[in-house]
Amino acid sequence: MGRLRRSRTHHARRDVHRLARTRVRVKDLDQIEIDLRPGNRAKLERQEIDEDKPGLGQHYCVECAKYCETDLALRNHTKSKVHKRRLKELRDPAYTLTEAEKAAGLGQDNRQRGVEEVVKRFEGMNNEASSNTQEGQKEATTA
Amino acid sequence: MRIEKCYFCSANVYPGHGTMFVRNDAKCFRFCSSKCHKNFKMKRNPRKVRWTKAFRRANGKEMVVDSTFEFEKRRNVPVRYDRELVATTLKAMERVAEIKAKREKAFWKNRMSGNAAKNARDAALNIEKHIELVQPRSGTTAAAVPNLEEKEKIREKIKVRAAGRKAMALQQLEGTNKSKTKKESRLIPSGGASMGMNVD
Repeated sequence: MGRLRRSRTHHARRDVHRLARTRVRVKDLDQIEIDLRPGNRAKLERQEIDEDKPGLGQHYCVECAKYCETDLALRNHTKSKVHKRRLKELRDPAYTLTEAEKAAGLGQDNRQRGVEEVVKRFEGMNNEASSNTQEGQKEATTA
Repeated sequence: MRIEKCYFCSANVYPGHGTMFVRNDAKCFRFCSSKCHKNFKMKRNPRKVRWTKAFRRANGKEMVVDSTFEFEKRRNVPVRYDRELVATTLKAMERVAEIKAKREKAFWKNRMSGNAAKNARDAALNIEKHIELVQPRSGTTAAAVPNLEEKEKIREKIKVRAAGRKAMALQQLEGTNKSKTKKESRLIPSGGASMGMNVD
């Protein structure tokens, strides 16, 4: 694995801070991973006509979370370098907080403590109750 | 009170420190520093950034498989308070940290074990390659410059010495390779270190 490229990455994009604003934030990889699940994908690719979205929301690229104006634009986009790069990024499972915690040596434990004791107590009670009811049943059957 | 972990670099985030970003799907991201926050905003993958814990673990720089990792857990279900349990936990924490440090040191030593011989070999190769740069110490002053033949002799001497050193280093390398069949095996903690442990 080489280091990330540092040269020739400028592309005349000057206003980095404007692009890092929360309001222009786009979907993260872990959200897109959820979108890619078959049911969600079908829903996103066949959206209802929405005047507020580019191209009435009819030409959506799920991997890049991007609306295109026309079908041709979408087809050209799927052939593009940006799209292919995104496909490569999506090949590995997305990075999550649990992974960050795991890297710090912190596992997860969601065990319900004390459940066994409660179950045992209930079983004990049930046994007592059943023994009582058995006697009652015997009486009932004899009667 | 909970000590959170940084989303980007996995460092500790103590209460009242760092930044939290809440995404529009209500997921929380905590950051230990503005550095980590900025890197997150740039949408960098922590697995590919060298200084993060995620990178170090994914690339075999640190111990990953060990029984000491079984103790510290994020418990999303609260544990009922028990005075005795707290007391034993506090005692165990010290001991576990001690054992963990020891094993990490052993892992590091194991990871670096092949380097000494490799460095010696590289140095010898370097001398052999650039032999013309190595000047004998006596030849610094103009008066003491030896004639061409002597120079050649000295160079030959250095060359032979370098070759000898190289051969030695190679032998050493071979020896280490024999003891460890694969190079990758250095990344896996040795069997003895990760065996059962006693925590009283």
